[in-house]
Amino acid sequence: MDFTESDEHALLRESVRKVAATFGHEYYARCTNDDVRPDDLWQAAADHGFLGVHLPEEYGGGGAGIYELAIVCEELAAAGTPLLLILVSAAISAEVIAKFGSPTQKSHWLPGLTTGTKMVFAITEPDAGSNSHRISTTAKRDGDVYRLNGSKTYISGVDESPQVLVVCRTGVDEETQRAKLSLFVVDTDTPGLHRTNIPMEIRAPEKQFQLFFDNVEISADRLIGDEGEGLRQVFEGLNPERIMSAMICNGVGRYALGLASQYANDRAVWGTPIGRHQGIAHPLATAKIELELARLMTQKAAWLHDNSTDRVAAGEAANMAKFASADAGLRCLDQAIQTHGGNGLASEYGLADLWGIVRLLKIAPVSREMVLNFISTASLGLPKSY
Amino acid sequence: MHVVVCVKQIPDPAVPGALNADHTLKREGKPILDESDSYGVEMALQLVDAAGGGEVTLISMAANEETAGLRTALAMGAAKAVLVSDPACAGSDALGTAKALAKAVERAGSVDLVLTATESSDGYTGTVPAQMAELLGWPALTFAKKVDIADGTVTIQRQTEAGYDTVQASLPALVSVTAGVVEPRYPSFKGIMAAKNKPVDICTAADLGLDGQLGWAGARQTITNVENAPARQAGEKFEDDGTGFEKVVSFLENLKVI
Repeated sequence: MDFTESDEHALLRESVRKVAATFGHEYYARCTNDDVRPDDLWQAAADHGFLGVHLPEEYGGGGAGIYELAIVCEELAAAGTPLLLILVSAAISAEVIAKFGSPTQKSHWLPGLTTGTKMVFAITEPDAGSNSHRISTTAKRDGDVYRLNGSKTYISGVDESPQVLVVCRTGVDEETQRAKLSLFVVDTDTPGLHRTNIPMEIRAPEKQFQLFFDNVEISADRLIGDEGEGLRQVFEGLNPERIMSAMICNGVGRYALGLASQYANDRAVWGTPIGRHQGIAHPLATAKIELELARLMTQKAAWLHDNSTDRVAAGEAANMAKFASADAGLRCLDQAIQTHGGNGLASEYGLADLWGIVRLLKIAPVSREMVLNFISTASLGLPKSY
Repeated sequence: MHVVVCVKQIPDPAVPGALNADHTLKREGKPILDESDSYGVEMALQLVDAAGGGEVTLISMAANEETAGLRTALAMGAAKAVLVSDPACAGSDALGTAKALAKAVERAGSVDLVLTATESSDGYTGTVPAQMAELLGWPALTFAKKVDIADGTVTIQRQTEAGYDTVQASLPALVSVTAGVVEPRYPSFKGIMAAKNKPVDICTAADLGLDGQLGWAGARQTITNVENAPARQAGEKFEDDGTGFEKVVSFLENLKVI
C-alpha cells in the first residue's frame, strides 16, 4: 500500500494548476456571462496533452490512465475552471473508441480528441431516463448505411462538437426482450439531425440540447465495436464519467474551501478573525473531512478502473465516489458561501455561480437514487426494486 | 548548439523557512525548481530551437542527490542534467558554489552558452554568475532582458535603471537573464513522462577535482549571526481637521515624490 502520488503525478498536478491559473475563475465566469465557450482554456489543456493523458501513445495520447485524467479534471476544477465536457468527450467517447474501436476508427478519431477536438455523448432520452433498456432511438441497417430515428435529451455541448457518440437500439434480445444497443459516431451537421437548446438555470458556459434524429443516414463504418454490444461497451465509459464528475465536485470543493479559509483568516469583525469562532471553523473542518473522504474514494475508483480485473468492485467504487463527492462538493461550496456572509452570493467572490454545476452533478450523470439502488443490489445483495 | 542552464532546487517558498543551528537554511522536504531559473530554461529551449538544433543541459548543486526540482526543468524540455551532490558541499559560499558549477559546465562537454538567473530566490547573493564566468575564462553578460545568438556571437539587452545597454560577446559566454525575459512554458504530460527517463549525471566534489574546496572546508566566509530584518517603524499619522491634504502633500513633497 502506498498513498503517495509519484513525482510525475505531482508534476502533472502542478502543471495543470499553473495552466488553469493563467485563466482563473474570472475567465470562466466571463465566458458564462458573455455566452462564450471556454475554448482557449480547453485548447491550452489539449496543447499540454492533458485531455489525452489516458489515450494510447500511438494515437497521440499520453499512454497513462483514468487516474491521470482524474488529476487533470480535479486540478482544473480546483482552479475555479471546471471543464464539464471532459466527462463526455475524454472520459466516455474517447475511452470507448480507444477500447472498442477498430484500428482504422482509432487512428481516425483519437488523434483529434487528443489535440482538442470534442466528441460529446448522447444516451439519455425523454422516455428512457436512467433506464437504458428503454432506449427507443433506433438505427436500422440499410446496405452500406444505418438510418437513425428518435430523440435524445440533456445532451451537453453538441453546439461545440463536430461529432457525437450516439447510443441506439439495433435490435431486441430474444430471450430477455431487452433492447440490444449499439454505438455510432454521428457528425453533428448530418442532414436530418436537429437540435434545440434547453434553457438551464446553471451558470456554466456549456449548453444542453435536445436532439432529433429524422432518418439520419450514416455510413456503416461509424458503428463502434460490435452491433448489439453497446451497453456493455458504454459501461467502460460510464465509470470514467462518474469518476470525472466526482473530481469536478472535489475540485470545486477544494476551490471553495480555499477561498473560505482565506476569508475566515482575513475577515475580522469583533477584533478577531471570524475563523477563530468555532461556529465558522467547525463546519469548514467538517466539510474538509467529507471532501478528503470523497477524494480518497474517487482516487481508489480511478485506480481500480485502471488496474483491477474486478469490474464490479470498480463499478461500486465509481458509484460511491460519485455519490460522496457530489455531497461533499456541495457541502464545501455551501459552507464557503455561508462563511462569506452576503459576500458569498456576490459575483465578485466567485462562489455562488458554481453551485449550479455541482448541484447538477448530484443528479447527472447518474442520480443519487440510482447509485443507492445499485449499491443496495450489487454491494448488499438486496432485491431489485425495478 | 549546446546551452547549459544553472538551476537551483530550493525549499518551497510557500512553506515558512527555518534555519539550522549553523545559520544555514534548513533544506528539508521536497525542493522545487527556483522560479527565477525557469526563465533561463525557457530561454535556452527557445535559443536551441532558433538555432535549428542542439540540446539543453541543466547543472545544479543540491544535497542528498535531490532531483525533484530538476525534473520540472527536464519536463519543460531540457535533455539531461549534471547534479553536484556531496555531503561535503554543505556550507558552500558563493565562490565554492561557482567553482562546483563551473567544473560541472566543463563536465557537460562542449558548451556554447551558459544561462543563469540574476540571483537565487533563497540566497540572493547575485555573485555566482560573474564568478563562474571568471572561473571558466568566459565573458559574463548580465541582467539580460533579451538574448539573441547569431554567427558565434551573443547579443543582449542589458537592463539598466535608465533603459538598456546593448552588449555583445563571442561564444562561449555566460549570460544571466532577468525574470520576464521570456514566458516560461508549463510542462506537457509527454514532457513530464519523458523527464522520468532523462539522464542525471550525479557527481561528487572528488569527481570534479574539488576535494576540500567546497562546503565549510573551502568557504572563505563564516556566518557569525543572523538577525531578523528590523520591524518597520510606525509611519507619521495625520489627524484630518480639514487641512489633512496639505500635510500629505507637503510630506510627499519632502520625499520629492511630487
